[in-house]
Amino acid sequence: MLTLRKLDIAAYVIFIVLIMLAPLVFDPFWLNRIAKYLVYGMLGVAIALSWGYAGILNLGQGLFFGIGAYMLAMSLKLASPTSLAQGSDTPVPDFMLWNAEPGAPTALCCINRGSFLWMPFQSQWFGMAMGILLPVALASLIGWVMFRKRISGVFISIITLALVLLVRLVVIDAQPLTNGFNGLTDLGWLTIAGFEFDPYVVPTYYLVAISLALVLVAARLLIETRAGLILQAIRDDDRRARYLGFDVPIYQLFFFAVSAGIAGLAGMLYVVASEFASPTFMDLAFSITMVVWAAVGGRASLLGACIGAILINTIEATVSETEAFVEAWKAIIGLIFILVVIFLPRGLAGLSTDIAEWALARLPKGVAPRGAAPRRDVQPAE
Amino acid sequence: MAEPAALTVEALAVDFNGLRAVDGVSMVVEKGELRVLLGANGAGKTTLMDLVSGKTKSTEGRVFLYDAEITNWEEHRVARAGIGRKFQIPSVFKDLTVRRNLEVASCEKTGVLANLGFGFSSDAEARVGEVLRLVGLEELADRPATSLSHGQTQWLELGMLIVQNRSVLLLDEPTAGMTQAETHKTAQLINRLKGQHTILVVEHDMAFVREIAERITVMHLGRVLAEGSVAEIEQNEDVRRAYLGSAVIHGQPEPPC
Ligand SMILES: Nc1ncnc2c1ncn2[C@@H]1O[C@H](COP(=O)(O)OP(=O)(O)OP(=O)(O)O)[C@@H](O)[C@H]1O
Ligand SMILES: [Mg+2]
Repeated sequence: MLTLRKLDIAAYVIFIVLIMLAPLVFDPFWLNRIAKYLVYGMLGVAIALSWGYAGILNLGQGLFFGIGAYMLAMSLKLASPTSLAQGSDTPVPDFMLWNAEPGAPTALCCINRGSFLWMPFQSQWFGMAMGILLPVALASLIGWVMFRKRISGVFISIITLALVLLVRLVVIDAQPLTNGFNGLTDLGWLTIAGFEFDPYVVPTYYLVAISLALVLVAARLLIETRAGLILQAIRDDDRRARYLGFDVPIYQLFFFAVSAGIAGLAGMLYVVASEFASPTFMDLAFSITMVVWAAVGGRASLLGACIGAILINTIEATVSETEAFVEAWKAIIGLIFILVVIFLPRGLAGLSTDIAEWALARLPKGVAPRGAAPRRDVQPAE
Repeated sequence: MAEPAALTVEALAVDFNGLRAVDGVSMVVEKGELRVLLGANGAGKTTLMDLVSGKTKSTEGRVFLYDAEITNWEEHRVARAGIGRKFQIPSVFKDLTVRRNLEVASCEKTGVLANLGFGFSSDAEARVGEVLRLVGLEELADRPATSLSHGQTQWLELGMLIVQNRSVLLLDEPTAGMTQAETHKTAQLINRLKGQHTILVVEHDMAFVREIAERITVMHLGRVLAEGSVAEIEQNEDVRRAYLGSAVIHGQPEPPC
């Protein structure tokens, strides 16, 4: 029997098959672009998980994305040929040399006061692990304070927004360690088991695409667990949930941290595809843009938010090729956001659910489910 | 030693910047008893339930569940200790389906890691099915809770408490906003729970009270004014005086607030 749920699962399958087939159609230049959009799609999943399912509107998701990006970028910076060629036993980032005090030893341990912090990043595995662990740990810490104190709604948005601005300033300020405004550029390639992930080869695209597919499926399974159901219950009425005996802050913290981990992973993949990490990842505008992607795609749908991100970025890339539109784009995206909020509060995913329901209701008897109930938690896309 | 009372409240009080909404209330509810809490608007009935269930922290006094002291515990701990509560303004998970609402209530383990599995035990599903029938929401099981009528929402919330099977139930105006037929059905439901649970219920509707009550505690201005059987309370001079001008005691339901 054809049901909304089956259509929903079909939508996931179709999406994953499509992104797996993309290399048959696109050249390496475009594949690299698409890989970046898929990373944005992963951010959409992270936003939908915390905003749509936990009711936590994080306006500082760029914080976790940025941290993930920097952690891996530090390792890749040390793996870059220029860092290795500074005439020292340990690799030294070029910008540290440019800014070094006269007479400072040319070694990672002590070229400047904080440079020893970079030492463990000589292991690429350390950078990769930190790219997820640090966002998760930080989110757990922030979450523990916020959720224990029962901070909710707009106050969470304000706190997360302030945090991303704060960390961005710190990163820019710690110039000797982070190269400040310029960020980390001229990176080496991610190397796993001897394979080098050149951003313009097909395997690198698959690294991103498969990661996204896994994240999508895992996040979807996660919200189908009992814990995922309880999380949605908490979103609807946290007081009721407390009175049923659930320790609400633990649930919020858990999913907030998972969302941060996904954003961290996205940050790392972005570095692999784009070969740089920059404080712009922590720009307020970027974090807010992510929320717009999720709103347009449908915040209550993981796949919807993911497709929303990819769609908007594809349109943006196409539009940007026409000079006149480049400037107008920001206004257009703002307008789209307002229109969606007013007319499509459940985003494209909500729209497709409605269409699917309408179609199912009109199928000949025997095919259509009896009394197909509207369900907000499922949505076929496209 | 005799079995301890299910719920013991000792000289409980709370001070909201000078307003003593509950002002030294003592009360003992025996195991399996159904106690009605009566009182005019603002008498402090809801606040008393807030104090017992941990929503509001008391400034004086103590609360015992059987022989365990639970004074000022956090809500989820009070719940786990064995107290279920229904709110004056019905409170359900409105975007989840009716069945999902009950399933959430059926989770015995409350931790996040313990709930990382799929589906519910057949025992839990059986309980959910039974309660759906009991509260008459079988047909609507797959509808989102937001589509229920006011009365149905009250039943769903009651159903969540029944699924949970806590030993003590605090019910704050379970018939507020219900039609007469609905009120009657609710009374039947509560009568069925009698004996299996210790129940403290706030109610304005005297017809309903007569249908369910054994003992009544009357509150007035944050204090206990009287306690006794339905007949005793109806005869009580203090109660009559406190209600002077109010129709409540004569059997007319007061409008919900
Ligand atoms: N958190 C609070 N802060 C300050 N005052 C409060 C608070 N909660 C309740 N009150 C006050 O305490 C008094 C008792 O309120 P409560 O809600 O307990 O009454 P009630 O007996 O449940 O009345 P009703 O029949 O209207 O539900 C009221 O005057 C109310 O305004
Ligand atoms: Mg009240």
